[in-house]
Amino acid sequence: MQMRVGVLGIGKTPHKIQHEKGLRDLIVEAGRGAMDDAGVEPEDVQALYIGNAASTGFNYENSVGLMSSHHLGLVPAAAVRVEAACGTGAWALHLGCAAILSGLYDTVMVMGAEKMNDLATVEGTSIIAQAADAKEEYFSGLTFPSGVALSARKYMEVYGLTEEDLAHVSVKNHHYGARNPYAHLRFECTVDDVMNSAVVADPLKLYEVCPMTDASSALVLCREEILRDQPDKPQVFVTATQMATGTWYAVSDTMQDAYDLLNKPATRAYEMAGITPDDIDVAEIYNSFAIQEPFGIEALGFAEQGEGWKGAKDGSTWIDGKVAVNMSGGLLCKGHPLGATGATQAVDIVEQLRGTAPEEIQRADARNGISACRGGPGAVGALHIYQRLEG
Amino acid sequence: MTVSAIEFSRIGPPKLRPYAMRCEDCGTLHAWWEKFHCYDCNSTKLSELELEGGGELTNYTVVYYPPRDFLGQEPYVVGHIKMDEGVVMPAPVVDVAVDDVEIGTRVKSTLRRMKLGHEGDIYYSQKFIVDDAPSPEKPVAAKKKPSARKKARKKK
Repeated sequence: MQMRVGVLGIGKTPHKIQHEKGLRDLIVEAGRGAMDDAGVEPEDVQALYIGNAASTGFNYENSVGLMSSHHLGLVPAAAVRVEAACGTGAWALHLGCAAILSGLYDTVMVMGAEKMNDLATVEGTSIIAQAADAKEEYFSGLTFPSGVALSARKYMEVYGLTEEDLAHVSVKNHHYGARNPYAHLRFECTVDDVMNSAVVADPLKLYEVCPMTDASSALVLCREEILRDQPDKPQVFVTATQMATGTWYAVSDTMQDAYDLLNKPATRAYEMAGITPDDIDVAEIYNSFAIQEPFGIEALGFAEQGEGWKGAKDGSTWIDGKVAVNMSGGLLCKGHPLGATGATQAVDIVEQLRGTAPEEIQRADARNGISACRGGPGAVGALHIYQRLEG
Repeated sequence: MTVSAIEFSRIGPPKLRPYAMRCEDCGTLHAWWEKFHCYDCNSTKLSELELEGGGELTNYTVVYYPPRDFLGQEPYVVGHIKMDEGVVMPAPVVDVAVDDVEIGTRVKSTLRRMKLGHEGDIYYSQKFIVDDAPSPEKPVAAKKKPSARKKARKKK
């Protein structure tokens, strides 16, 4: 039997620097938004799975699940914080789906939240580096940007593309990010702009790196029948959820590890949903660094290995291409509020399938969507498939 | 990046010398932190192997925005060094202009101050410098049997 988890409601805050709001303000804004959209009251939510990657570092607070349950009015519902580096929000979604599918709960809330901008960049970089082995591998002065820069250099060397070729990924993301009112960086850029932006970690440049962002996103999930019984609501379901881990270290330097990390769960997810990559209309693919978009495009079966970068240049991953990739502007424009990101990807895909995305970034008649999140040096892969199923 | 003094008393001293972990069952060499099991064959029999210190830079980047403990060192080169014994280690390459580094550069390890902690505590470890000496005869490579783990992973 196919799995179907109803998406009853969605909510999200703007993704930007929000000095006027703390972590709990963001959580309540997104969570209340999702409950309003779902038409449920706090007492209807039986469990909360909230992704938050690093509140002890960024905000000097812990117990985010318990704090959120209190301030969202969910008490005495079950509530737990989920953490898996940059894959955190997607893991929360996975657990929420599993809880519904198990039959334990009828209605749960899945959230992600991160408040990153109370600290200076150098502090934030140090906290983020703790998602890798900061005591051993990253003791050598590696950071997340520089770790990914190493895989970018390897990919470019192996597959023979230039820095200008890769810059098209940022150009595409910024084209759409400029049209997403919830995005952090809302401006268009050219290949020259990308090439002339500051080098962060050679060969990655500023416009190929996501900003640190404050945001929260939320989804109310339910058993299939609950949504089916409300035919006036958009009939969008999660039809596959798959997670995987990979090596926690990046020294292997092989392109295969980066590919397998998402390809293995993607293969299982397509089987689970009973569809193929050709059926996908819209995809949100993790790209905290530009090079990770081609990694995802290849692993999800939209291009052969070594060719995932071409879509941004030839148009096949633009809005009317074979598959519309990152119509939200991706992490490059939305920013990467660590724990929120996986949940935001889900919300963005649900909007696409509902047909309620901002007009200029709405893929025409999107019916099938996929989100791919990754985290750690190469340690977490997370895949979700969503479908609009009428009748 | 911060570690307590007590934890550093456990993990710091090993960083003063270059060594790898060798799987006694399949012979695969791993970076020093793989002390619990062999990532290739799952064996838990691992032993330390002293490294000669020479190697080749196989990948690198230049960091312009460092983490806190490395502030003041930027821009610096950090990369992957394939040691002559065959294991890959992550490490900075120092005493060289960032433009003079390239893939294939011969390097050798040297004990240096790695970074400064936020309380002024000093962390020492292996950095690498360019080795102008001619490429040496390769040290005895570790004997390697086919890895059961890699085969198993491919099947999945």
